[in-house]
Amino acid sequence: MRKVALLVSLVAVCLLILTLQTRGYGARARDAFAIVTTPISAGLAKASRATFGLWTTYLDWKNVRAENYRLREEVQQLRVHALRVTETDEENGRLRRLLALQEHLPLTTLSGEIIAREWGGWIRSLTVNRGRSDNVPRLTAVISPDGLVGRIVDVRPGASIVQVLTDPASTVGAHVARTRTPGIVEGDPRGTIRFKFMARDGAAIQVGDALVTAGQGGVFPRGIPIGVVRSIDDRGGALFHYAELTAAVDFARVDEVLLVTDGSQRDVTAFFPTVGR
Amino acid sequence: MKALLALTVVGGSVAHATLTPMISVAGVTPDLPLIMVILLALRRGPEFGCVAGFVTGLLQDATGGGLIGVQALTKGLIGFGIGVAGGRLRVSQPLVQVPGLVVLTIAEGLARFALLQIFRFPAPFGELMAYVVLPQALCNGFIGAAVVLSLAWAQSFRGRFEGEQS
Repeated sequence: MRKVALLVSLVAVCLLILTLQTRGYGARARDAFAIVTTPISAGLAKASRATFGLWTTYLDWKNVRAENYRLREEVQQLRVHALRVTETDEENGRLRRLLALQEHLPLTTLSGEIIAREWGGWIRSLTVNRGRSDNVPRLTAVISPDGLVGRIVDVRPGASIVQVLTDPASTVGAHVARTRTPGIVEGDPRGTIRFKFMARDGAAIQVGDALVTAGQGGVFPRGIPIGVVRSIDDRGGALFHYAELTAAVDFARVDEVLLVTDGSQRDVTAFFPTVGR
Repeated sequence: MKALLALTVVGGSVAHATLTPMISVAGVTPDLPLIMVILLALRRGPEFGCVAGFVTGLLQDATGGGLIGVQALTKGLIGFGIGVAGGRLRVSQPLVQVPGLVVLTIAEGLARFALLQIFRFPAPFGELMAYVVLPQALCNGFIGAAVVLSLAWAQSFRGRFEGEQS
């Protein structure tokens, strides 16, 4: 009974309010409600704005963080891509030079790729991916577009070992391109090369002179660049003097080479434009 | 406890006008006070449901700017009806409560429309039903489901905690 009375009274109140409003008496009631509800609404709006502002800031921060992470990954990928492109470009340039040399040289050559390096002090050698199956003979000259790399000292089934000029056991007959002073280019345990020449013949040698192969030992064609004189070691009254050389080839970075497979001793100086510069 | 309930009813009603626009989905806002009234009426009975509905609706009317008393009447009736039905029917299951919320929202919409018609307040029925009442009913159903599940989880957690204490 109490429940029904409550319901009836609430319905009655509502209907009364509605009726009063439709007859133009609602303004005061609205004003009274507004006095109570407006400050609460304003406070809640402020609080919700602050809360949502905080939430939005958090979301922005999260988005920025996610974007930052994504951009970092993208930068990383682009760097890798750029490196690949640069490397491919460099390889392309090297191969073009090698191909140009191979086409112009009046020698039978076989291109090869360096697949390993032995760079200890005792031995300095490269492994090239041409071997017995390619009919590579021992002592084949190995050259690059920059000059002489060395010679094949060991031929294996799928690869060959190239003794590099800087190997302490390496000796190559050479002469100074400008003065024709003959001598021997030797490897040095420090990883450099030096030119050993007779004192009586070498008076005119200067720093910057280019050295090329002499082509007299039957191994290397004549005129392949070896290096340039960096300094002259004048040993006074000694029979031999030495000239420290800067190698024409950067042995640590050479990747593609040509193997001169015929025994031709033709002068190839003209095909290496750096000689005598 | 009564103070907390009163705060829930009053605060929830005023908060509805302020906060629900921010949680609207595609322009549809849930009728949070209605959900609150229904859930309270189910737990507290018809008297509490009726008063809660009346106060809630009155505050909604006041903050909303429409005819004061329309929602007070509809929500009061719904609060009363649910309070009575909650004692006689098995409406404690979420699977009953959620569709019930949808149906009750539609019923409240229809009642409000009828009242507006009586007091000569212009309201197009078809558009109101299509764009306001039905989407809001669905929205209330989803929100109500979340609230009901949260309450069930909180109650089970509380029961487990109290069991461990004893």
